[in-house]
Amino acid sequence: MKLLKPSWVTHDGKPIFSIDIHPDGSRFATGGQGEDSGKVAVWNMAPVRSEVDEKNSNIPKLLCQMDNHLACVNCVRWSSDGRYLASGGDDKLIMIWQTGRYFAGPSTVFGTGGKTVNIEQWRCVNTLRAHTGDILDLAWSPQDAWLATCSIDNTIIVWNATKFPEIISTLKGHTGLVKGVTWDPVGKYLATQSDDKSLRVWRTVDWQQEAMVTKPFDECGGTTHVLRLAWSPDGQYIVSAHAMNNSGPTAQIIERQGFKTSMDFVGHRKAVTVVRFNPNIFQKVVNKASGKSQQFSCCAIGSRDRSLSIWLTALKRPLVVVHDMFKNSVMDISWGKSGFELLVCSWDGTAAYVEFTPDELGTPLTQDEMNSLHQRIYGKSMAISTQHSVNNTIIENPAMLKLQQRHNEHREQMDAKKQVNGTPTKIRNPMLTSPTEKPNPKAQQIETRTPDGRRRITPLCIAPQVDFGDIPRPFMSSSLPMSSTGVAQPGLETAGTPRAAEPSQGSPSSQHATVKPLAPSVLTSAPTAIPANIQPMKALDSRFTEKSKATSGTKTSQSKPDRITPITLSTAKPREPDRPILQDSSAPAPTIIAKRKLDSLSQPGTKRMRKDKPVLMAPAAPTQVTPTIPQDVITRSAPHPIMLPSPPAEKNISLQVGGGEESMVLELENNIQTAGVKLAGLKCRRGGTVEWETVLSTRGTLLAGSRKVLCVSCEDRSLCVLSPSGRRLLPGLVLSHPTAILHCNGYHVMAVTTVGNLSVWNVQIAKVVIKNESLLPIMSGDVVIKTSSVTEQGVPVFSLSNGKVFTFSVSLGTWSTLSDVHSSLQQCSDHQTIMSSLNPSSQVKGPLASLQGQGQRSGRQAGRLFRANHNLQQAVTLGHLENQVSAALMLRSSAEHKFWLLTLVRYLVQEGLEAQLREICDDLLGPVTAQGRLPKGSLWEPEVLGVCKRLVLSEVLQEVGSNLRLQRLYTEYQDQLDMVQTPAK
Amino acid sequence: MKTPTLVLAVILAMAVGVAVAMVQVNKVVVLDNPSPFFNPFKFNITFVCTEDLPDDLEWKIIYVGSAETEVHDQVLNSALVGPVPAGRHMFVFQADPPDTSKIPPQDAIGVTVVLLTCSYHGQEFIRVGYYVNNEYSDPELRENPPSVPQFDKLQRNILASQPRVTRFHIDWDNSEDQENKPPQDTQQPQEVTTTKI
Repeated sequence: MKLLKPSWVTHDGKPIFSIDIHPDGSRFATGGQGEDSGKVAVWNMAPVRSEVDEKNSNIPKLLCQMDNHLACVNCVRWSSDGRYLASGGDDKLIMIWQTGRYFAGPSTVFGTGGKTVNIEQWRCVNTLRAHTGDILDLAWSPQDAWLATCSIDNTIIVWNATKFPEIISTLKGHTGLVKGVTWDPVGKYLATQSDDKSLRVWRTVDWQQEAMVTKPFDECGGTTHVLRLAWSPDGQYIVSAHAMNNSGPTAQIIERQGFKTSMDFVGHRKAVTVVRFNPNIFQKVVNKASGKSQQFSCCAIGSRDRSLSIWLTALKRPLVVVHDMFKNSVMDISWGKSGFELLVCSWDGTAAYVEFTPDELGTPLTQDEMNSLHQRIYGKSMAISTQHSVNNTIIENPAMLKLQQRHNEHREQMDAKKQVNGTPTKIRNPMLTSPTEKPNPKAQQIETRTPDGRRRITPLCIAPQVDFGDIPRPFMSSSLPMSSTGVAQPGLETAGTPRAAEPSQGSPSSQHATVKPLAPSVLTSAPTAIPANIQPMKALDSRFTEKSKATSGTKTSQSKPDRITPITLSTAKPREPDRPILQDSSAPAPTIIAKRKLDSLSQPGTKRMRKDKPVLMAPAAPTQVTPTIPQDVITRSAPHPIMLPSPPAEKNISLQVGGGEESMVLELENNIQTAGVKLAGLKCRRGGTVEWETVLSTRGTLLAGSRKVLCVSCEDRSLCVLSPSGRRLLPGLVLSHPTAILHCNGYHVMAVTTVGNLSVWNVQIAKVVIKNESLLPIMSGDVVIKTSSVTEQGVPVFSLSNGKVFTFSVSLGTWSTLSDVHSSLQQCSDHQTIMSSLNPSSQVKGPLASLQGQGQRSGRQAGRLFRANHNLQQAVTLGHLENQVSAALMLRSSAEHKFWLLTLVRYLVQEGLEAQLREICDDLLGPVTAQGRLPKGSLWEPEVLGVCKRLVLSEVLQEVGSNLRLQRLYTEYQDQLDMVQTPAK
Repeated sequence: MKTPTLVLAVILAMAVGVAVAMVQVNKVVVLDNPSPFFNPFKFNITFVCTEDLPDDLEWKIIYVGSAETEVHDQVLNSALVGPVPAGRHMFVFQADPPDTSKIPPQDAIGVTVVLLTCSYHGQEFIRVGYYVNNEYSDPELRENPPSVPQFDKLQRNILASQPRVTRFHIDWDNSEDQENKPPQDTQQPQEVTTTKI
């Protein structure tokens, strides 16, 4: 046995709370307190093992240091494949670390003057937030399928390690701080130990408690920072941390069979903080007399009494006890994968290394022998893992196989595309290829001006996405870019070849300077550059850390220099701050605005001309035209009944209908006096020439028009409906009250009277669609109509100031909600994740999308809420998606209906919700009969919004097929679909 | 042994929002250094962003006119930087020289400080400070400096090798709409790390 304490493994004297050796044995991680933050450090193992390496200044000791944690790091653990490092700390966060794929060579942590050199690049890929208290211990499940974390919030959270930050389960039951967690190597259980004087075993099948052990802990007090318990590699025993037997501290052995507590490890004088089993099962002739080889496991126990003991389960006494190795409590222990080396860390801020020989421990069983042992004891059920069970699913029919292949091909194509996109940026980037070369990003840098005149720089993206690498290679292996320099050479000889003693043989290279931990040369030379005038320096020192007044927003005259030449065109046009928000998408609309301005000036009496209010309109209907009055904000004085202002008959009203060459301009001139008779003249111009002209008996107040129909509302409460060539299509429609809102779209005319009664007519067939429906139900309180419109299908849409959007459903005879900005369903829905998997251009445009806005807030809160509760998240997402489907249906927007239906299906498929999928498929499929004819009396509609439901079903089934678990469902419906679609013979 | 109520109190006290720095500055290269006093300041800044930022970063260059007081601090330039998707980014940040009329004559020559700061949602999260030495390039003038500083004859030397970096923990999640924010969230960034050489 060899024991040493590498003095350089230190957190500057602060406690080291956790230590873990990487599975490849080339590096290890420590966690603890850093400078005012938590600290995770990755160290090189070679200098620990070999004194020669330790003295070779070319071999780095610290590989990477991460101070992202806000508070002390209590636990660091590598995943069993070595790809990830998980760390958890007092900041309630768990961070998952991975190496960067593109390693640009050693880099210094900026601002540390070259003192800390990051040789490896470990980056935080996930931050898991759900615990409400300090995290004390964490453990990866045997196949890295799950990560369990325990906290002083009395809970244990099991995370889906293949899909962070998804939570598999939150285990509740402990009534005290949970201080240790360990997995059953077979994957069936999870054990935790808590300050509530209990050790609990949880099933991984349903995440319920299997057993609770309390007796050995009755006398225990919460005197340890952690209670890191461990499960033996053969799965037969759990060894607890701090337990008591006859007032003496012990480590309790709990048998798997019935979780009985009959044995314990006795001898430590203070509470046991940590137990770690050697990952190997050893084999040795223990009893010399019998000469028979025996299998046993080996465990290391650390305690608050500052000592470490090593036990073999075949021996009654400890193999070795090391006293006085530390000045304070042992905090964590880690075995190397080989099983012959061990690292221990302590509250006193030091770490120790222990090395054993096969003579001392025995010969480890090979992986195969371990597997057969497991199989012998536990049968084939070993390594229960969600991932494996899916991958092992047998594809049951050829159509499914084809579909799966197509899915895979598609995925590959997408990946290939990504790579192609990625390469050019890499080449363009001078920083990656040669860090010393002087880059000239200024040429590519885009500078613009924000509306309020501030400079905005679009930075040059030099590494488009944070790329994360594969499983890291053992440190110093030839794949590392560093190996091309002389630095790595000696490292390769860590195995102990004599050449390792000649560090000088590595050819020095230019990169050497940065790798060298010998920063002092830089440090000492730098101060000489500072002139002798030291006096103001002290005063200036504070300026580096204290916030000055100038930073808090005051600008000097120079903050807007005019020498910046904007590259993009977007700044060429100065933006008016009072422009309507939706204007861009409703291009034809603003033509009348300028004219209205003049009118309002000529009529100072009218108060309603608010130029500062945006004129909003439904941008999705290109043929639709704004009415001639700014019906932007229609205020109501009294809550009930509704009083919508009616526009006065102004002298001139004009309106542009349509866009492009087809566009025509309607001009209404009121107050034409002819021989004492007052008339109103209506002119239609197309391309400057007057196409037709007609007269109205009374003055007109509102104009509206589409390509199919034109409409004028008159002072005598009548509506005049004209064809685009000026023919009167309907007799004068007389309403009960003056018209306040008038819209045309397609063949539909919508009018709202001043008392809030809505009517919609279809002019083509001369029929009423909605008859005098009151807006009262949706206009409670101080709500005003922000915008209103009618779709081409004759569906009225009202967007109100409270953020809600309503329509009137003719078939249901009631108002219904289309969208609600403040709806928590909309805000918290998690559908964005499945949307992003789609091609972004496939986002459909339609009335619903324009109502809800492109940059809609839906889903924005998804990440924040429901972190803890996946079920709730799922319900919310489903709710939102279902609302979207029915809203699209309500709006009779066919494309959007299909889009949201498929999105919903995709989500259901992803979540594996079969019952709901079945219902959707049933509706789309309809009744199946042998002849393919519908049975009599069937209420099933074969089409939805003009799209054949069965065609939609075939698309839905494509999605269903992407989840192998649903293959039965897929087959079932595909067969039926094939049957109804084959033409009857 | 703590009583359950005590434990609960501890947990409640800690239930405030936490966020990790999303932007880390990797490298700042001082360009055109040393240079005459009236040349613009130029910094080439490389930073890494771990998540897509919904809003812009605000960078500032502040020139400290006098060590004694902040009154003479000048914001030489402030610019928004965005959009910032996750990844590594670089930009050149340039600013005109300070307004000499705002520098006390006795502080014109010698050592002062230039600061680069970056804030998100109005909260400063990093401050990079450099010592700046202003000296007459002419040895004659250096020996006998004129009573009124001749700025056009000054040489500005930024001690680029010795950045002083201070990081502040801020609330990165803090967005414009406060609807879903827990009310107990504190917005005061507290100073956390000061790295010295």
